[in-house]
Amino acid sequence: MFKKFSLEEISSQNQVKASVQRRIRQSIQEEYPGLETVLEDLLPKKSPLIVVKCPNHLTLVVVNNVPLFFCIRDGPYMPTLRLLHQYPNIMKRFQVDRGAIKFVFSGANIMCPGLTSPGGVLDEEVDAERPVAIYAEGKQHALAIGFTKMSAKDIKSINKGIGVDNMHYLNDGLWKMERLD
Amino acid sequence: MAEKLEPAKVLYCGVCSLPAEYCEFGPDFERCKPWLVENAPDLYPDLLKEANEKAADNVSDKLQSVGISSGGADGAPSSAHTGGTSKKEEVKRLPGGKVKKKERQEVIIEKVVRNKRKCITIVKGLELFGIKLSDASKKLGKKFATGASVVKGPTEKEQIDVQGDIIYDIVEFITDTWPDVPERSIYFIEDGKKVQAA
Repeated sequence: MFKKFSLEEISSQNQVKASVQRRIRQSIQEEYPGLETVLEDLLPKKSPLIVVKCPNHLTLVVVNNVPLFFCIRDGPYMPTLRLLHQYPNIMKRFQVDRGAIKFVFSGANIMCPGLTSPGGVLDEEVDAERPVAIYAEGKQHALAIGFTKMSAKDIKSINKGIGVDNMHYLNDGLWKMERLD
Repeated sequence: MAEKLEPAKVLYCGVCSLPAEYCEFGPDFERCKPWLVENAPDLYPDLLKEANEKAADNVSDKLQSVGISSGGADGAPSSAHTGGTSKKEEVKRLPGGKVKKKERQEVIIEKVVRNKRKCITIVKGLELFGIKLSDASKKLGKKFATGASVVKGPTEKEQIDVQGDIIYDIVEFITDTWPDVPERSIYFIEDGKKVQAA
């Protein structure tokens, strides 16, 4: 999704009013309970929260010029990879085998067999349409953020086709946009 | 309240900005290698070994060449080598490993007749010289006392539209205001053909 993404894509950015800010905070907190203790540092109540709108119903949540979360339409907020690397335990984890890494890096969606093979790990509790962090076999850090197409159980039983939509991956446009100025 | 989470520190490669462990899948592993050897030697044990071997080779090479020939002959191949690497770096890389073609730096000026005796002068390509288009349009407007605006062109590129026919002295104006723009890289479009301005 962020394969091509640059400052030119931004259609509007504005500082949102306090009530919207509160709502964003709340939904992030509900989605990622693990972030509760640091949310105050991430999204300080005092400093302005900027919502950047981009084509394809994409919104970015930006604080101090650093993009922290993104979401599509009214979907859940998902952290950017830089943020996830800092707080690795806030999301459910999936792990793909080593062979899949290179495809994920070029933006491919995550196929079921890559998750069910010996190198892959599935978190059984994950339902369909949830944000997940994609890890890789033998690596410590997440390499992508995905949105599940089917539940983990289905991935295991069907074992065919796209299991997780690749939303944001290492070295894509959003990753390269470390700061928004 | 639960204990506060500390942000984890992640080592990012200084060359390709990925976490160091993913460099091998990055756009240009070869270029990351020296950095990795220096900053994250434990992640790629093979690499360190390779580097050490290379270093050893170099040393032995040098010893040999010193033994055989004089210093002058020794200097030539090494300088040729450095020239090669700097050229390689010029090539910009797009995500996906594709090599981006280097865009020719040129300014294209076109006159479009809008309404019989009214026309617009379109200036394309100023941004390739590192000129801010909004500044440029302001300057153009001021100089020629007309409207000048930055407009998105047909191919998603931005261009400056200036009202009126200002072809007669826009070249001089451009070369005067931005000395970086050489006169020979300014082109007119006349009857669909590209004609050099100078």
